[in-house]
Amino acid sequence: MTTRCGYRICILLFMLCVAGQGPALGDQAVNITAVPSEIDIGASYNGVTLRVSGTVPVGSDVVLRFTGDPIELHMREKGKVFGLLWMNREVVTFKNVPNVCLIQASRPFAELGAAAGSYRLENMREQVTVEAAGLGPDFDAPHELLRLKEQEGLCAESVGGFTLNPEDNGMQSFRGALVLPSVLAPGSYRVEAIALKGGTLTGQASVPVTVRLVGIPAWLKELAVQHGTLYGILACVVAILSGILIGLLFQSKGAH
Amino acid sequence: MSSFLYLYLPIAGNSVNLLSIVGLGGVVGLLSGIFGVGGGFLMTPLLIMMGIPPTVAAASDSNQIVGASTSGTLAHFRLGNVDFRMGLLLLAGGVAGGTAGVQIIKILRQLGNADFFISLTYVLMLGLIGGYMFLESLQSMRKAKRFDPTGESRYGRFVAGLPWQMNFPHSGIRLSLLMPIGLGSLVGVLSAIMGVGGGFIMVPVMVYLLRMPMHVVVGTSLFQILFTCIDVTIMQSAQNHTVDFVLALLLLVGSSVGAQVGVKLGRKLHGDHLKILLASLVLVVMAKMLFDLLAQPAVRLAYMGGH
Repeated sequence: MTTRCGYRICILLFMLCVAGQGPALGDQAVNITAVPSEIDIGASYNGVTLRVSGTVPVGSDVVLRFTGDPIELHMREKGKVFGLLWMNREVVTFKNVPNVCLIQASRPFAELGAAAGSYRLENMREQVTVEAAGLGPDFDAPHELLRLKEQEGLCAESVGGFTLNPEDNGMQSFRGALVLPSVLAPGSYRVEAIALKGGTLTGQASVPVTVRLVGIPAWLKELAVQHGTLYGILACVVAILSGILIGLLFQSKGAH
Repeated sequence: MSSFLYLYLPIAGNSVNLLSIVGLGGVVGLLSGIFGVGGGFLMTPLLIMMGIPPTVAAASDSNQIVGASTSGTLAHFRLGNVDFRMGLLLLAGGVAGGTAGVQIIKILRQLGNADFFISLTYVLMLGLIGGYMFLESLQSMRKAKRFDPTGESRYGRFVAGLPWQMNFPHSGIRLSLLMPIGLGSLVGVLSAIMGVGGGFIMVPVMVYLLRMPMHVVVGTSLFQILFTCIDVTIMQSAQNHTVDFVLALLLLVGSSVGAQVGVKLGRKLHGDHLKILLASLVLVVMAKMLFDLLAQPAVRLAYMGGH
């Protein structure tokens, strides 16, 4: 029994190692590459365009999906108090929320058939679990969360922007682009390519994308988190010196 | 999408347009220089509208007010408009009141009524102060009536009867030590509840209850706000890590210049004009807050921690 268990673990480890070497995780019908695979957030970062290319079975349409690790969110429901004032009321906890979900399809979803429904933004409702007490009957918590994420630019669904090339050895190459917002937090993400044909899934693959802070933003963030008091004192000293400097500049120009 | 006009803010976790942030700082700094208010009640909502998280917007705004009020205090000091004795007594009261206010909010949060209480305090305070200042200034301008600080009213007799009277030569008044400390405490409680520096409450308190001349009020208010905001910046940095120094510095560039221009502009305006303009500003903010309370929000969810 122990030997069989050890054997299984070895196979699993071998499979994980092989998967880690390759450009993409998924079936062999779909191949995918994302550039850049490592996104550096420096002082001049203002979002980035992720260029995704690969191959899918001939005649397939492509859906690209950029998602982050699931997170837990604690929020408040806005409801009416005394039937008049809109106030923050009950605490709502959302679990298994993707911190970002950007979807791009080569054709409108309505034309992609039944299987495409699983990859739409609205499908996020099925994944998310809601914990709350005393919410109003008209309050649709997952829907409101989706609207909030859309407002923040962290969830979006769009169509077009793909180049699908002619057949080559039973496969078809594609190129697409996903515009990542500047509000993207550092962390691990995943971009998936989903191939759909005649309303059914013909294959899918994914590659990891890492987002990290570099340079001055990384240094400031570390100082703010690791040495908060020192950071606060330095922020005040710089602010006071800047105020004095500007005051002196005005004085030298005969401001009074 | 890198651009020289955009800068990434590591604490806010978003990039901003340099010109719009410096411009926003300039406009709020101008108001700060003219009226002696920190401008937090204007700047924080505007930053939130630009995509900065509410907690980072409020904390970073405190940091920029440190710079703006240093610049403003310096300008008013050169003009002889800062009553340091009064400012220090108000500050002592403000620190005590602020500490009590934080405890009151803690208790209300435990009871679950904090948000309602904060919003109501905001609308009532802004409405009362703005309305009273507006009507009083309008009346004063119409009648061209000058305020007589030696006039004998019931309030005047009460103030004169208090113990520990002392002179405030810079303001040209004589008052009990209890007045600035007591009123400073009251403003401290309110500003802790409302989460603002308290300039827009302190200015009317100095004008109507301490009966200080308007131009000394502005300089002294800025002096007091400087210390309040140093305290808030260090506390927020140490406990919540929400001060975005880069954002504050960008706002500061605009607001320090704006404050200097504001001080010069303020000198050209009559005291009543200053009061009526500040009252209008306070009433506009109150109307906006009341609208937000009455109108259905676009999204019925809010992050925890905000007002």
